[in-house]
Amino acid sequence: MPSRKSFRRVIGKRLINVVLTIFGIIILNFFLIHLMPGDPIQNVIPKNPKFDPSLKWKLQEQFHLNDSMGEQLAWYMYNTLTLQWGTSYMQNRRQVFDIIITDMRWTLLLVGISTTFTILIGIAVGAYSAYRRGGAFDVGSTSISLFFYGMPVFWLAIVLQLLFTTHPLGMNWWPQLPAGGYYDTREYGAELKWTFPVVLSVMKYLILPSATLAVGTVAGVSLIMRSSLVDTMTDDYILTARAKGLTDYQVLRHHALPNGMPPMIALIAMDIAFVIGGAYQVEYIFNYPGIGYRTIDAINNRDFPILQFIVVIGGVAVVIANFLADVMLIYIDPRIKIS
Amino acid sequence: MFSQNPSSRQSKGFGSGAAAILLVAVMLLLACASALAPLAADGAAPGQVVVGVISLAQDEPVANAGLQQNVTVGSTVMLNASLSTGFEGASGLNYTWYVDYRNFSDAATFSPFVDLYGVTATFIANQTGVYRANLTVKDSQNRTSYDELSIIVREKPPTWLESHLLAIILGAISGVILVWVLVFVTRRLVKGDPIISEAGREKAGLVRKRSMKVIRQLLKNPMGLIGIIILAVFIFIAAFGPLLAPYEVSQIHPENKIKLPSKDHIMGTDNFGKDIWSELLHGARTSMIVGVVSAMIASFLGAAVGLYSGYVGGWKDEVAMRLNDIVLSIPWLVLMIVIAAMIGEIDLTGIILIIGLTGWSTTARMVRAQVLSVRERQYIERARCIGASDLAIIRRHIFPNTFPLVFANTILTVAVSILSEATLSFLGFRPIGIVTWGTMLSFASDSSAFQIGLYWWILAPGFCIVLVVLGFTLLGYALDEILNPKLRHR
Repeated sequence: MPSRKSFRRVIGKRLINVVLTIFGIIILNFFLIHLMPGDPIQNVIPKNPKFDPSLKWKLQEQFHLNDSMGEQLAWYMYNTLTLQWGTSYMQNRRQVFDIIITDMRWTLLLVGISTTFTILIGIAVGAYSAYRRGGAFDVGSTSISLFFYGMPVFWLAIVLQLLFTTHPLGMNWWPQLPAGGYYDTREYGAELKWTFPVVLSVMKYLILPSATLAVGTVAGVSLIMRSSLVDTMTDDYILTARAKGLTDYQVLRHHALPNGMPPMIALIAMDIAFVIGGAYQVEYIFNYPGIGYRTIDAINNRDFPILQFIVVIGGVAVVIANFLADVMLIYIDPRIKIS
Repeated sequence: MFSQNPSSRQSKGFGSGAAAILLVAVMLLLACASALAPLAADGAAPGQVVVGVISLAQDEPVANAGLQQNVTVGSTVMLNASLSTGFEGASGLNYTWYVDYRNFSDAATFSPFVDLYGVTATFIANQTGVYRANLTVKDSQNRTSYDELSIIVREKPPTWLESHLLAIILGAISGVILVWVLVFVTRRLVKGDPIISEAGREKAGLVRKRSMKVIRQLLKNPMGLIGIIILAVFIFIAAFGPLLAPYEVSQIHPENKIKLPSKDHIMGTDNFGKDIWSELLHGARTSMIVGVVSAMIASFLGAAVGLYSGYVGGWKDEVAMRLNDIVLSIPWLVLMIVIAAMIGEIDLTGIILIIGLTGWSTTARMVRAQVLSVRERQYIERARCIGASDLAIIRRHIFPNTFPLVFANTILTVAVSILSEATLSFLGFRPIGIVTWGTMLSFASDSSAFQIGLYWWILAPGFCIVLVVLGFTLLGYALDEILNPKLRHR
């Protein structure tokens, strides 16, 4: 079958691009480390004046710091690909890989929940305002979206945190939400055990951070959805569908939405980079123990081993998101397969 | 030579073109002059007194060591922790200053320098590098609070060249434009040609006609109109705000810190005794400069990369686009944070360069797509047939066709750049020695402004950022709608 063959070929080409890009990110990261000021060995050896300098030389040999640039790059690639990412300067010298995987779970939970809500709400709002273009709902939702679209995430986080941790204007009925941490450590202990009340507590602590993260992106998604659908709604086949006597809902559901979706999927994937950036600010303000919080922490402690692999992880996440979006697009839209 | 062109329509054609060029040059000169102003106030005298503030938020002590300081080597640094005014029952507080030190070349390690106890402590900064003063406050119930500040000790104050780098760059660009206009005019005068040739006049007339049409469409578009109104207000504030501001913001007034709003200070004062309303007015100018200049750098780089890779095509294009993908893939905030953390101490020029140099990849991708569609048109082929060089084709045919898109995109990039500056400042990478809305928010959040009662300190800069970003976004979208041929049919 020719179409399946071309489908495979397109996917294969994209896959090669993905691998190349990931390699590029890893190599760029190598040069970023080499631009950093300071001697990496200085952070590993104990700070003691009576310290034996031969150990320092031994360590230099062990970490291949005396080799040529090319050899160092080769060793670095080997270590990166075999997940030997070194140990943190702080944190009792925990493995960097271990730290990143632990923090990643919380970031994925936060980003996953907020993105799910974002996509559902954003598409619904955008579709409805495109459908009732120029109406009260359209004007209202578009202007509210534009207002929130340009709002700094950290500022929204501060304002929401204040709104839900105090009783504004003395309103006693106003709901109160936990504004920091990831579950109630005071009641359930510092060690995380997955029991039902703990899960409930985790969910309660997720409300504010994920809502903050969602507000800005809902605005973005609904604006894009609206403009993409408005584009499609002016096409001739929509007029034809209307002329056939289909109801408005049928036109929207079976003709406009399927054709308005592909640009949405591409843009949501592009947005992942911005969602990750937003998650950093949200985690920082709500003390949420994810990758973003760890990044700020690592910067304050100049903990470069963690920092450099956070860059790699962020880049790889975006590349993979874009690749998945591409595959989905090719699967959905037969026109891409042919061209 | 004007006497040769008596017709009013023709001289108008000359007028709008020349006026546009002169306007750009004057704007750049203005930006350059305002870039001079904030930096000139930087560079502290030896023996700068460093002020620490302890405020009581919700009955808990909050340490606030204060602003990052620049001093010259050998100066005496006085660490002075004092209680902010208006809080009762703060007896039994216990202050500790702990100072550690690193030299400039070693970003990672701090070595202990001296332990100092008590409210006021003094030490002599006798080495170049960074001294980090850590302030710990403990109250009678053993509740503690901690903050740190960096004291950067340099050999000598930054040279004139260093502190005016941005102004020099902008001045040079505007100088080049002015000299270019002058040389152009004198050459024509010497040769005895009319200043404006027949073809040039016709072209200027067409350009004017088209730009008037765009402006008219923009004013009809509700998004564009609201955007222009918002931006006009904020450009006015950026231009004249610092003159209208009742107080100076480059000086620290320790005796005046953390005052609630009163008649003298309508929004109160911050932890350095600066008037918040004045800071807001000054911040408008710096925030706009950061946004506009870094967006211009990003657009210039993006347009250059996009034009090159789109025009040459082939493997060079492939390589350029893969590199672009790599930069685009790394989340933008992470990249900026890592670069800022590596540089360590950043000033106005530094933050502009960080934002400008990391933000070009989206523009590059968009310009490339447009170039690809323009490249195949027939007039390009014809130009090549009559022997036009690649550079001439790019300059005369391809660039003018992508310029509208680049322009609309630059406006949108300004919004993103202002947000980036605010975010970087908030996360602790504050440009030294200047006040922006981002640095205001950062200090306000560090000092728990809401609990103190200084609501404006957090709300006002935030609203300003939201409004300016909204203005640039609206204008950018409206321009995109008008100028982008793909969207025009709507």
